[in-house]
Amino acid sequence: MLFQQFDALIMALLIALLLLVLTALLPWLISLTSSKPKAVREELVEVVRCPSCSYESPRKYEKGDYVGKIVGTCPRDSKPLVVKAIYIEKYSQTT
Amino acid sequence: MNGSSDVASYLIVVLFLASLLMNFTDIPQRIQLHRFSSFVRRKLYAIEEMEVDARRKAVAYMSSIGIKEPSKILEGFTDNFFLIRPVDIEPTDIIRRFKHLIRVRENSVREYVRKVLDTTERSIQYSVETVLEVVSVLRLLNKLVRHYLELGLKYNNWILVMQLAIQMPELVEIARAYVNSLNAFTSGIPIGDSVGPLVAKMLVNLQENSREISEGTDLYETEVDGRKIYVIKASGPGSNVGWPGEALEKLVEELGGTIDRIITVDAALKLESEESGEVAYGTGAAIGDIGPEKIAMERVASKYSIPIDAVVVKMSEIEALSPISRNIYEGVVKSYELVQRVIREKVREGGTVVVVGVGNTVGVK
Ligand SMILES: [Zn+2]
Repeated sequence: MLFQQFDALIMALLIALLLLVLTALLPWLISLTSSKPKAVREELVEVVRCPSCSYESPRKYEKGDYVGKIVGTCPRDSKPLVVKAIYIEKYSQTT
Repeated sequence: MNGSSDVASYLIVVLFLASLLMNFTDIPQRIQLHRFSSFVRRKLYAIEEMEVDARRKAVAYMSSIGIKEPSKILEGFTDNFFLIRPVDIEPTDIIRRFKHLIRVRENSVREYVRKVLDTTERSIQYSVETVLEVVSVLRLLNKLVRHYLELGLKYNNWILVMQLAIQMPELVEIARAYVNSLNAFTSGIPIGDSVGPLVAKMLVNLQENSREISEGTDLYETEVDGRKIYVIKASGPGSNVGWPGEALEKLVEELGGTIDRIITVDAALKLESEESGEVAYGTGAAIGDIGPEKIAMERVASKYSIPIDAVVVKMSEIEALSPISRNIYEGVVKSYELVQRVIREKVREGGTVVVVGVGNTVGVK
């Protein structure tokens, strides 16, 4: 009889412990089910512009470029081409 | 009595005792204090790592431009060059006092950098100053977080530690933005805060002819449909914000106040629900200054009763410090078009307009 009661106490403590562990693990369980953000690839691009004929074209950023730097000649009227803006383009990763 | 009802009654007693313990003692707070403080400590390690990273980047940048003993220069800068705010319970001439203190600090920073820099190229000098400032901001952030954590633990102030823990993710993001901004500052790429200078540069159709109206601040002249346009921006392409208020004041006084409109363009902090790159139009001086530059603009505009407009591009604090994204670039183009429309619609032909591109001109000559 005493042994049986002792057994029930252990059982009750075990259940209480289980509840405690479950509560502690809840945030982790939630984080498992939420989706992970998609990986993106970032690339610096720039826009070059010919101030005299308004020709504009995008191109890759090269180290040392800044807005206002002359980076070649315009294909339309051979006047200097100037960097108009530099910004980051984000591409979602496909692979 | 059967076994399962025994278990149930014991369970009720155990849960009842546990709930007494949790509700009428300080044990839960102690546990929370422990949990939150270890969370703060983990995030603090992340910030510390970022500070080390920032130091490494700063040292690498300084040695790449020929500064000897860069880490010694860095050590001598962080923790020093603080600014004590002027007395404000007696506000008479506070702006003049504040302006004086800001200029004196700026000059001593400039002197400090000039002493160790061989080159006299100003844009590099400005960039070195900014790199040093960024590292000391990270140092300060690190020290502040550590201070509040240690204070909370010392006095068992679990509310303080909990508050700190709740703010940590945001602080880590800000620290990360500062570290990333070093890449932009050292390689000279425009950041979110550069939208004002970018719009200014677009308005003058990327021309180079300018004159220096204030220290590190340039004045351009152009025309839009028969209206004379003066454009003020900081001198680039180094990291520099110039003195836009002082420059505007000088220009308006030079012209004797014969100006029909002033338009200021700047980046503004967005609300969480707003999109980055949104453009908004309003009234006032759009400038995130602690006082002197902004009040100079307001004073000179009200002295000659010139209408003053604000065009802002919305972005987060983190975006303001990072290289501009596509959204913000589109915002720049939109605000350029908006400024042109305002000039056409609100200024008569033959009139004069001043456009001030406020912000850091890194990467924009
Ligand atoms: Zn052309």
